[in-house]
Amino acid sequence: MRLLSRLLHAVVPCALIVAARPAAAQAPVRVQHDTLANGLSVYLVPDTNAPIVTVDVWYDVGSANERPGRSGFAHLFEHLMFEGSAHVKPGEHLRMVEAAGGEANANTTEDRTDFHETLPENRLNLALWLEADRLRSLTVSESSFVHERETVRQERRQRVENQPYGRAFTDGLTLLYDSTDCFAYAHPVIGSLTDLDAATVADARAFYRRYYVPNNATLTVVGDFDPADAMRLIHEYFDGVPRAAAPPPVTCHVRYHAGRRERTWRDPLATLPAVVIAYLTPPHADPDTPSLELLTTMLGSGESSILNRHLVRERQIAVMAGAGSDDHLGPSVFYVYAIANQGVSAESLATALAVQVAEVTGHPVRSADLARAKNEVKVGALFDRQTTAALAEQIQHFVRFHGSAAQINTDLDRYLRVTPEDVRRVAEKYLVPDNSYTLVVVPRADSVTTETRRE
Amino acid sequence: MNSCVASCVACLALAAVGLRPAAAQQFPTTPPAPAPMAPEHFPRFHEATLPNGLHLVLVENHTLPIVSIVLTMPTGEVNDPPTEAGLARLTAALITKGTTTRPADSLAAEIAGAGGSLSAAAGEDFFSIGSTVLSEHVDVAFTLMSDVLLHATFPVPELDLARKRERSALALRRSEPTSIAGRFFAHALYGHHPYGREETAASLDAITRDDVVGWARTQLAPAGAVLVIAGDVTLDRARALAQRFLGDWQGVAPVRHYGDPPAERATHILLVDRAGSPESTILLGNLALRPTDPAYDAAVVANDILGGGAGSRLFTDLREQHGWTYDVATRLTRRFDVGEFAVRTTVPNAVTDSVVREILRQMDELREHAPSDNELAAAEGYLTGSFPLTVETPQQIAAQLSMVKRLGLGDGYLAHYRQRIGAVTADDVRRAARRILRPDSAVIVVVGDGRDLYPGLRAIAPVEIVDQEGHALTPEALAPPAVLPFDTAALVAHRDSFHITAPGHGVVGWSVTALTRSDTGVTVTERSVIPASGLTQVTEGHLTPALELKHVTQTTDFPGGIARVDLTASRGAIRGTAIRPTRSGADTVAVDTAFAPGTLSIDMLQALVPALPLTVGRRFTLRSIDLGSFGASTLSVAVADTETVHVPAGSFRTFRISVTGTAGGVTYFVTTDRPHRVVKVEPSGQPLTFELVK
Repeated sequence: MRLLSRLLHAVVPCALIVAARPAAAQAPVRVQHDTLANGLSVYLVPDTNAPIVTVDVWYDVGSANERPGRSGFAHLFEHLMFEGSAHVKPGEHLRMVEAAGGEANANTTEDRTDFHETLPENRLNLALWLEADRLRSLTVSESSFVHERETVRQERRQRVENQPYGRAFTDGLTLLYDSTDCFAYAHPVIGSLTDLDAATVADARAFYRRYYVPNNATLTVVGDFDPADAMRLIHEYFDGVPRAAAPPPVTCHVRYHAGRRERTWRDPLATLPAVVIAYLTPPHADPDTPSLELLTTMLGSGESSILNRHLVRERQIAVMAGAGSDDHLGPSVFYVYAIANQGVSAESLATALAVQVAEVTGHPVRSADLARAKNEVKVGALFDRQTTAALAEQIQHFVRFHGSAAQINTDLDRYLRVTPEDVRRVAEKYLVPDNSYTLVVVPRADSVTTETRRE
Repeated sequence: MNSCVASCVACLALAAVGLRPAAAQQFPTTPPAPAPMAPEHFPRFHEATLPNGLHLVLVENHTLPIVSIVLTMPTGEVNDPPTEAGLARLTAALITKGTTTRPADSLAAEIAGAGGSLSAAAGEDFFSIGSTVLSEHVDVAFTLMSDVLLHATFPVPELDLARKRERSALALRRSEPTSIAGRFFAHALYGHHPYGREETAASLDAITRDDVVGWARTQLAPAGAVLVIAGDVTLDRARALAQRFLGDWQGVAPVRHYGDPPAERATHILLVDRAGSPESTILLGNLALRPTDPAYDAAVVANDILGGGAGSRLFTDLREQHGWTYDVATRLTRRFDVGEFAVRTTVPNAVTDSVVREILRQMDELREHAPSDNELAAAEGYLTGSFPLTVETPQQIAAQLSMVKRLGLGDGYLAHYRQRIGAVTADDVRRAARRILRPDSAVIVVVGDGRDLYPGLRAIAPVEIVDQEGHALTPEALAPPAVLPFDTAALVAHRDSFHITAPGHGVVGWSVTALTRSDTGVTVTERSVIPASGLTQVTEGHLTPALELKHVTQTTDFPGGIARVDLTASRGAIRGTAIRPTRSGADTVAVDTAFAPGTLSIDMLQALVPALPLTVGRRFTLRSIDLGSFGASTLSVAVADTETVHVPAGSFRTFRISVTGTAGGVTYFVTTDRPHRVVKVEPSGQPLTFELVK
């Protein structure tokens, strides 16, 4: 979960970089691209650094494609993809990969579903064959469906309902979107228990036929392989999967600066009040995104970040505080949050949070804070390319969210070019009260919600 | 598939349905065979030795601007003074916590700012300090490594904190059946040899700052040390940095004394009594090989065939065929001196003796008959296949090279790994099996309910029974301890909120405990959250008016998944389910075991502490059920003394109650005034404190 990783990173302090030497020149990632007749998009990144290979398939479907009444489906379907296909028994996908000395995993977000395997280089054929078999012939049995649905329901119950502030950081971050105008992002990836209960096997099969088609998929191979051999295998295994109709597009209409909204939720599991202020921001590919991402680091990452310095250490009104973002293909969300210290009211915490955000819209951030944030981004970008698995995910990200794999080589520069005035200007554009939704979480039983709108 | 799904298949009529017609083109109906592997290649490395004896090994890799550095010295727990076991580990914990010019916080901030990490660790045979950084900051890594090596201050407050953490970890280890088994197993195999030694609270308490300073000064020296550098740096620059920052470091190489392990005896069983446990933990094995033994590769293959994974003999036999266990594995441990082989498994009491017999039989089988070609190919395929995933990044390469150098495995070890494993024949495996598997002189440690297990085990081999402190027990002494009556009138309905604090981090979480009473009994709940660890635990227990357990549930959500336990007690048994997260979902275990009256869960104990007899000096035992392993065990409770504690809710005069024993340990501070109220809790196992807020 994004939030948890943010909290974990919050414990690591960042140093003051007084004089930074220029980074060592980094060789660009060389990507080869091809498209099969059936629409399967293929990206190959040969890299002989280590004798291993990662196969990564992204399907352009996520929770954003779900319709009202069927939330949580994309994620449920991700689970079902391991439950067997024409030539692979249920559960066998993972066992076969592990027996070959490899690792496999998958995950779902709003805008895509990711499946990947990492194996020794001479087992590329196995990974491709497994992905092809489930794309062309997944079998969804009633018993598998029931089993996986129960697993996912359990996951929702434990991660959201039984977690203090669980709802605040899942359902809560969707409040900026209107269900009618943008159901795509107006509900969380995990879905609701009601919708999951109502899902049927027939729904699963229809979902598969509509979205799990080659013209809706991108296959990336990174590591030690020969591109000609890889393409030969890809043709052999995937050519026979017929193209299908293009899935319906996702529509999402939002209105920026729709007014300051607020809601209070009572959370029986919470013992301290919490405040989340979310702002509507542009799609991830927008030129303003680097400033916003650097801002989440400066505001919330580490003990010397702005919110931690002011709210946690100096004024001691918060037990913890941070910032984050939900990055979408469509309109996205930037948020700050804090959990109140004992004896502090939610109202005063909300005010204090808003004041800190107003500071960054009114004044440029300190050069030292920006330099440290850039360093963190630089390190992150490096570790994101260090293994075949991480690099494959990065390629997929740039294809899906930026429309170009080549941007992997130029993206970091966008961040390094950001100036303190850029940050202030972007903050002033989006991080303002009339573009925000404030969610106050109050401890105690009995759920009561109120919403106010102020222009 | 787990039993949950299997039971549903029968009641659902629909068969699996393929969702897409087979394409006209021929699609392979079976998985493709492995392609030929590319020739093995491991990056070249360069070596050099500095005048002070420090040996440098460099692997250049300029793919990414990252450098990983590991400095290893030939000393470790083996060189703890016998009365101060734990000294090496504490030295490692302290060495990065401040130097003469950099306090601990600055050190941490400086290395994080260089995009990196710096840490130290002490193992049985080796002490290491490592750092990974952006290559443009490689001099920062060297600066800080040299600073901590030469100028560490080992501050006393940090020593106290490290000691407290180590004691908590120790207490936790002493309560887990797997750790208990490991402790007795190591001692039985190694005796007074350093590998058989263990830390105790007493040995940790005996360690002073002077001891740490002295140990570091005499043990950490450049002579005999190996510095491995992997990543984006040239040989010349690496040598220059090493000479500049570590060239002035002086010292004589430490010497390690091992001695001989005890002579082997005929197979015997050490039964460690853990009364009420429905499962036993078995650890069975013997001494094995020295690290450079020519038979080592064949031994690794033999180990994988016997118990390496889901295709292994023991897994197929004990789990798939007999259904006796969910979890069995073998382990061949390589140390600097002679290593060990062990089989570990956890099984229900009723089949413990059958499992022990079967393990011994399988060990014999592999000694007598060479494995099949299929088995050999599968084991070698797995070992060679997974190897490259372990040496992908500079950090991984540095760690592996470091291991190779310090064990003296030879320069070609990593470069020719695949070739050597692939060359092992079925007969090599059989001969290696005869060296590492000795069922006639095995040490068998069984941790479990002595009364239940003794009759079956004594038919296999001579049995020695001990309690968890190692004191000998006679079979007649295997009886449950007396049950203590509570003063139920001292219990007051309440709902108390606690902060959870950790040294250096302030408040890291919170916990709420509550107790309510009704005609049907008492309900106690506890809800604890530590957000930064992703940990939430909710426990709910229902007790009779006499405080006997009726029903308990516990749900733990942590980064590894969600675990849930649901147990109901009635008519002398406790039954229910436990769900444990696994990679592909969750495992459900059915629990059904005998249950002595008066047993509690330690998670509910906090709410009931006010009802204990609270007089300074009182000591008594309680039976407790462990919600991790569902085993009932014994707690020793002592009302130690009174002291004043200060917590956010105020200052209170309290009884300090220390609880230790087989299910974990904890210290409660309960007000001396009535109504007695718990105001502070210090659990063993982590450096956390619970303080009453309101």
